[in-house]
Formats: sequence, C-alpha cells, structure tokens
Amino acid sequence: MTDRARERAGAEVCLTCGDVALPLRVVSLDADRGLARCAGADCHEETVEIALVGPVAVGEELLVHAGTAIARVGADR
Amino acid sequence: MRYVDEFRDAGLARALASRIASLVEPGRRRKLMEVCGGHTHTIYRYAIDELLPAEIELVHGPGCPVCVIPMGRVDDAIAIAGRDGVTLACFGDMMRVPGSAGSLQEASAAGADVRVVYSPLDALRIAREEPGREVVFFAIGFETTAPSTALTLRRARAEGVANFSCFCNHVLIEPPLRALLDSPDLDLDGLIGPGHVATIIGSDAFGFVAAEYGRPLVVSGFEPLDLLRSIEMAMLQIAEGRCAVENQYGRVVAGPGNAAALAVIDEVFAPRPTFEWRGLGFIDSSALGLADDYADLDAERRFPLAGARVADPRECQCGEVLTGAIKPWECRVFGTACTPEHAIGTCMVSPEGACAAYYNYGRHTRQREAVG
Repeated sequence: MTDRARERAGAEVCLTCGDVALPLRVVSLDADRGLARCAGADCHEETVEIALVGPVAVGEELLVHAGTAIARVGADR
Repeated sequence: MRYVDEFRDAGLARALASRIASLVEPGRRRKLMEVCGGHTHTIYRYAIDELLPAEIELVHGPGCPVCVIPMGRVDDAIAIAGRDGVTLACFGDMMRVPGSAGSLQEASAAGADVRVVYSPLDALRIAREEPGREVVFFAIGFETTAPSTALTLRRARAEGVANFSCFCNHVLIEPPLRALLDSPDLDLDGLIGPGHVATIIGSDAFGFVAAEYGRPLVVSGFEPLDLLRSIEMAMLQIAEGRCAVENQYGRVVAGPGNAAALAVIDEVFAPRPTFEWRGLGFIDSSALGLADDYADLDAERRFPLAGARVADPRECQCGEVLTGAIKPWECRVFGTACTPEHAIGTCMVSPEGACAAYYNYGRHTRQREAVG
C-alpha cells in the first residue's frame, strides 16, 4: 500500500457510519443530566450519554458510539 | 491501550491464521460474508484476507449505512438543507454521498447550512445555541446508532428544544439479511455478524440465520484478532458440520442485547411499512420512522418533501457489490470514473464501503494483475 493510500484510508473514517465504537474511560460525571465526560487513549475528551448503561463510576471503561455509551467493556458475558 | 493493543498482536494473528488453514479442505472453496462495513474496513486495513488460505473467500455484505441509502433520500436531505433558516446536521460520511443533482458537500458550497456532527447530541446542542434556526438532524445507521438518536429526541422533548427535528433514515439488520439469504443465487457458507449492532439487539437475535437458513454466524468484534478468531469459529462449525450462532465478542455483546436501548427504540420509533435499500430494492419493515408520539420532532412531517424514488446511475454497480455478486474491482467504473474523490456510487464514498476499502488500500491493481 502506498503512503498516500494509507493516509487517505486512515484519515476519513467516520466512526458513526462505520459502526465503529471506541472504548473510552469515564473522567467525570454529570449525573443530573445523565451525561459523562469520557477520555480516549489519544487524550481527546467527549460528552457521552450514559442512559443505556446505568450508573457508571469514574475510571470505568465504556464502549461509545455516536456520543452514546452502548455497553460496558469488561469480562465475557 | 487496553482492549485494543492485545487484539492486534502479530504473533497471535499468525497462530490463528495457521489454525484456520488447518480447517480448510484443500481445493474446497468456502465463502464467508462479513455483514458489517466496519469489518470490511478492518479486513483491508490489516490485510486479514492475505493471511487466509486461498480456499476462504470473504464476501462483503450490505452493512454500511451510508452505502445502502438510496439517492431519493439524499435528495430530500439536500432539499431540507436548502430551505431558508434551516441547518442540516449530519455525520461526516454523508457529505459526499451523491444525490441525483449533487451532494450535501456541493449544497454546502452553494450556500446551504450543512454541518458535520459526531453525534446527535452535537446536533441538539446547535439547536439549543441557535434558537433562531431550525436544526434538522439527518439520522442514519443501523440499530447501533438508533438508540443515540432516540435518546437525543427524548432529551429534546424534555428540554423543550422546539427548533430541533430529525430526518430519520435508521435501518434494521434482520430484513436485508433475510432478503440476501432468500436469494436463489446465494452462495455462502457462513456469516460474520455485526458486533456493534449485536451490542444493542443481542447475539440471540441472529438465531434465525442458523435455524431458518442453515448457515453458521459468528458475532465478531472489530480488531484484527477478533475477526481472525471469528473466521476460525465459523470454519470450525463448517468443518464439524455444525450450524449455530456463536458470540466471539463476549466482552461487550450479551445474548439478549441491551434492554434499555431496545426500549428507547420502541418508544421513539415505529417501523416503516417499507423502505428502499440501494442494491436490494424495497424491503418491508426494514427501517424506522418516528412514532406518532414524536411526530412534532419529525422533519418529514415538519417540511414538505418530494420523497421521490430516484434510480441509481446506469453505470453504477453498487447493488451487485452490496449483495456480494461482484467484487468492487469488477464494477465497470471502479477506479476510473468512480473514485473516492468523485464517487458515482455510495460504496466508494464511505471508507467502510467495499469499493473505497479496495481502492484506498491499493487492492484494485493487485487484483487485476492476479486476474490478468
């Protein structure tokens, strides 16, 4: 693969359209609004809807898709 | 990074590849379909297909939400974006999807207010911050994304954000899978199931694939080792003459799915009687519209739309690519008239589209050389 091809392929991935979900770590909570600030490995932070995963704690790892936590990441179910 | 790095280990990948190779019958071709566009992207990004024995062929399925959206719906979105005082918020990949007279990107260049958002919540924030504008969220995606849209609509209702609405194009995974499996030309030995859709609907929801169609299905994660292990599990079933739904992605997918997500989908959406899929035509009960209780937040009821059916360009063969009938490079315009920069078909737009995956990772030249 050429550098140009690799660059193009990596640069334009739309996380939502690709059905991609990322494991993010909870850094703070806004329990009243049902939201959490979560951070990724690259240190980016985003506000995440947590209604689908129930009460979460700071430090917990969540699978986030389109700004919504869709699962907790953890041991096999 | 936890849950990522350990699923990209090259040594383990080679070990899995060798176990897979031991499961094939020499000379007996096996076709496995990866349903999800995210899997297609991982396969080409990490060259997983090159680790597999020649007997295993991976066929790309219809699970890229951008690729299956018909042109008429894009035209409707562009018409909404062109209205005075309206802001259309959409996911990044939708910007370049061609409608019959251009894309949202071109509409934006011509003056329409189209904004890329990462989540429906971002679209709602725009509406809250700019009360003088009508903000319409262009919702697309399978069951993975539908709960996010539903929660945002529920939040808009609770917060009384009256200038927010949703142009809903959410689709469901089971009806197109049934349409594919019902095809008399179907030539598939097994399926790799979409892991993140299964997070919502549960791995049990795919039981019909094994029970009614006699094909093994393995719900898979998205890292390279996830996919290799899922391929191994599917091949093991085939080798042992078994046929079941198995869950490789147990670290996030539960058998029954996410009950809260399914409940909010039920509350906010209602199945449409029918919906058009690019390449598959109209499929009954295959998409979601807003439920009557949420009619006030429905852009289709707020704005008059043409709702016209627009045929795909004649030279475009996305339909055959989406059903696995042809490989992307076999399309007559692949890499020539149709490229990621100037896409004719949707499969070339999204990086998860099979054509874009082939093109971006330089597969077209290699495949043609192999054939020539």
